[in-house]
Amino acid sequence: MHNLYFAGVDVGSLSTDVCIIDQSGKVFSEMVMPTGVNGSEAAERAFDASLKQADLTRTDISAITATGYGRASVAFATGKTTEISCHGVGAHQLFPKTGTVIDIGGQDSKVIQVDTHGRMLDFAMNDKCAAGTGRFLEVMANRLELDLDELSNPLNIKGESAPISSTCTVFAESEVISLLAKNTPREEIVHGLQRSIVNRIWGMVTSIGIQGEVTLTGGVAHNRGLVALLEAKLGLSLNIPDNPQTVGALGGAHIACRAYHSTLESSTT
Amino acid sequence: MSVRAELKYKIMKDYGAPAIMALQDIKKRKKRPVPEAFGPPLESNKRLKEILSRHYFLSRYVSGVKKVAWVTSGAPVELLRAFDFYTIYPENHSALVGAKKQGGDYCGIAEGSGFSQDICSYARIDLGHMLSGKTPAGKLPKPDLLFCSNNICQTVLYWYKAIAHELNIPLIHFDAPFVTTEQTEADVNYMAQQLQDMIPILERVSGRVFYLEIFEEILKRSMETSKTWGAILDAMKAQPAPMTIFDAFGHLAPIVSLRGLPVAQDYYHILMDEVDNRVTQGIGAISDEKYRLIWDNIAIWYKVRFLATFFAERKMNFVTATYTNAWAETTGHLNVKDPWKSMAKTYGQIILNNNLKHRLGLMTKMIKTYAVDGMVMHSTRSCKPYSVGQFDLRKAITADLDLPAVILDADIADERVWSEQQIHTRLEAFCETLEGS
Amino acid sequence: MNLSIPERSEYLKILSDSDQKIMGVLPALYPRELLWAFDLHAAEIWDPPGDILHANAHLQTTICPVVKKSLEFILKEPDVINTGYLFPHTCDSLQNLGTQVKDLIGVSLPVYTFYNPKGSFNNTTTKYYREILQNFQSMLEVSYGTLDSEKLQAACLLGHRIDSRLMDIQEARQTDRLLLGNQEYFQLMRAQEYLLPKDYMSLLEQVEILDQPSEGAKARILVSGILPPSPQILDFLDKLGVSIVADDLLAGSRRLPKFPMDPPDSPLDYLTDRFFILPPCSTRGGDLDERLHQLNKRSKSSKAQGVLFDLVKFCEPELFDHRLLVKTLREQKIPVLTLETELDSHLSGQDKTRIEAFIELLFEMVPR
Repeated sequence: MHNLYFAGVDVGSLSTDVCIIDQSGKVFSEMVMPTGVNGSEAAERAFDASLKQADLTRTDISAITATGYGRASVAFATGKTTEISCHGVGAHQLFPKTGTVIDIGGQDSKVIQVDTHGRMLDFAMNDKCAAGTGRFLEVMANRLELDLDELSNPLNIKGESAPISSTCTVFAESEVISLLAKNTPREEIVHGLQRSIVNRIWGMVTSIGIQGEVTLTGGVAHNRGLVALLEAKLGLSLNIPDNPQTVGALGGAHIACRAYHSTLESSTT
Repeated sequence: MSVRAELKYKIMKDYGAPAIMALQDIKKRKKRPVPEAFGPPLESNKRLKEILSRHYFLSRYVSGVKKVAWVTSGAPVELLRAFDFYTIYPENHSALVGAKKQGGDYCGIAEGSGFSQDICSYARIDLGHMLSGKTPAGKLPKPDLLFCSNNICQTVLYWYKAIAHELNIPLIHFDAPFVTTEQTEADVNYMAQQLQDMIPILERVSGRVFYLEIFEEILKRSMETSKTWGAILDAMKAQPAPMTIFDAFGHLAPIVSLRGLPVAQDYYHILMDEVDNRVTQGIGAISDEKYRLIWDNIAIWYKVRFLATFFAERKMNFVTATYTNAWAETTGHLNVKDPWKSMAKTYGQIILNNNLKHRLGLMTKMIKTYAVDGMVMHSTRSCKPYSVGQFDLRKAITADLDLPAVILDADIADERVWSEQQIHTRLEAFCETLEGS
Repeated sequence: MNLSIPERSEYLKILSDSDQKIMGVLPALYPRELLWAFDLHAAEIWDPPGDILHANAHLQTTICPVVKKSLEFILKEPDVINTGYLFPHTCDSLQNLGTQVKDLIGVSLPVYTFYNPKGSFNNTTTKYYREILQNFQSMLEVSYGTLDSEKLQAACLLGHRIDSRLMDIQEARQTDRLLLGNQEYFQLMRAQEYLLPKDYMSLLEQVEILDQPSEGAKARILVSGILPPSPQILDFLDKLGVSIVADDLLAGSRRLPKFPMDPPDSPLDYLTDRFFILPPCSTRGGDLDERLHQLNKRSKSSKAQGVLFDLVKFCEPELFDHRLLVKTLREQKIPVLTLETELDSHLSGQDKTRIEAFIELLFEMVPR
């Protein structure tokens, strides 16, 4: 039997990610590209680049799941699934004991409980306000004139942190301004910001509860200081994927694979 | 009721509490210096602290001795006193948590358990306390009964309903119809009847029998206490005013939460004497009172010191507030000879249960009689009955009385929504207007 | 099924042009039959189209959009409302808005209020409610002449017929005997907010109820909250093949008695009884256990697979109850989704994702 290939295309607000796997789950390509203004073009571009990386053509791919904000705009997809389901499945593939997924994405953050197949059991998502998301960190990095990497320095958890509201981005920004005006050291402000995000995430975690191992996905998983704080607050260590950004696309590819086989089964029986 | 518990409670009341208070007093000898802008602090502060600490302290030993009731600030507590309930005021406790700048933490607990951050912070703090057992007061007794009245807001009804469900205890609700023009006979009869309907329930929960004479005694004491409180507030008409409204926010605690008890009655005589004395001697709460202000809405508990200092440094003193006045305004209706209907009139017509025309009239009168030069309104996201309408009240007052006014967007006890920069700018601008006028 | 439901503003315009007396009514519970008996038409005005603009000068940002939109509408003093405004006592914000409009802002039409007692059913509360009805009647008599008791009796009979028909329709909805999408179904439910009762009754009579259940929807959910979901959400659900088979909405089944009543005999007694057998409601401080019980009962009889809470931002009464309802449903392993709406016409990408994820969850759409 020849190899079957499956793809997940995650069109997010900031980046478009593609992942290609074969039926055994082996990963052939992982691609991250900026989304820009046109999600549908970004999907085409990223998909082509990914195919090139895997040395495949479009006809080699048996099924494609589109996910992310722009999932409706992916014309070549064979199915679409929300990023919530995709992150659940993706995280479960990487860490099979995952019972809970925390995804801190660009525009929103979510906590997902999954079953032993990585299928979502329940989820919580942040409200309209961007507090507790990657966007929040970006706004604040601008204010502090730091780049995002500098924001992620691991910090001494027991150290001082400036008090910053966890309720609202606009509030938090004006708090940062007044802290700067008071010459508060930037490390303290950074620490305060991380704490504010962690408090926000913790609120969502407690609302649905934790089970099994916890896997962190989304670009913010690169932020080591934040990860350390979150681990301290939850009292456990987190599974961090090597490529936290492409977990959604990976999950999408696996869902495409599963859907392909279950349709096959139902049409043969 | 166990003899042992009762004995322990008595010992703690007569010996334990005084000893602990004395100890605390020694510990607190090293006082913070009073900033120059302020006059000498009130001597009564010490007694106030004693009373409140003792109340919270003794509540730990009350289990098995007295039944405990959680009560809202506007509820007709006199009826409960007739059954000797030990009363805890969650609003007062939430304000205490807020003043200690811990409101955000407690709110966070409630939010984590699923309560929205858009509900009243007094409620969130209390629910956070209930769910975690945390309190800066050491330990609070679990309630046997909840007693609330929607004469201050409908929120307390939703809030107490949630507690009643969680703890599986009875809730008595006193429904006070909002006064849109004036109280009708039907309103008064309805409230009077509800109070009488409560007696059998209270007898059952407390295991005590209702005696009208005891109740009348309590009512009399409550009336007298409110009258003294009113007289203390009246004394602030003096120039300079003998205390600031920020002092009054603190001295309000006994009239709210110990109303009807001798300890509150006695306390206000002490405070009255001191305030009278200061008026005679011309001692002001701030060293140089040049401008007199009115405060509208509940205090911003986590910023009381900051605001007091900010204004005192600019020779501005708050001499009156709609908030502090609420426990004096309607007690004139109380009448021992007609307890039920008179309570209906007293509790049904308080400021937050009355229409905005009434509120505008009241504020106008206060501004005139207290010789007020400017108005600060706290618009609080927690309290809709106090805040909805403030924009138009402000408009009417500034237009009719040519009075500078500022609105501060904040919250009563959730310090996380305080926006320092924004408030500072507004306050500075307000002061400039006032000084220029 | 094709129902011809007149559009709200056009319909009201035609009515007012034909000199029908129309009163603008705020949410949610009021003795409509008493108004009808005075030939007053109660048109509910709390979800008008358009942006919130002028109301922002009178209300803080943390006030709920129902209150703000109502005020926005009142500030325009539209001609179709020609006799006054009625503010039933529903929550703190609406309570204050009533006096704010009447005593501070000032409108050219009279402002009426109606107190809904917060106590439960007993002699004291029923006696009081009856007195409120009588006082309200006397107040209307000042402007509209002595009440014709036969008219009141007729109004109660009509109200009773509407209730009965709505109960049948609701029952049919739960058992797949109604061929209406979500969009049409809620248009039909919401038409009572502005149609004359006789017009509404004849609309209800046009609704076809099947004898046998049709093929059920792919997915069945119950919706709870204050207002029916926005047309955008309803449309989205229709497209996803999800049917709202039952509701626990304030502007929905919480305005309909828990069980059928006998036809009215003495109107004021009938109206009093009707008020006290409405389902438990957050705005009246209704019992939480009873509300849970009602929710469970309804979700069982309609075979709903999940519950969608569509909450209005800053709506305190509902936010308090919500936590316990969600907690208990979760314990019963019933999937729950909460959306927060601001009554705008936009359905955000985030909300779409939430709804779709909820559907994936309900139907285990992700294969093993």
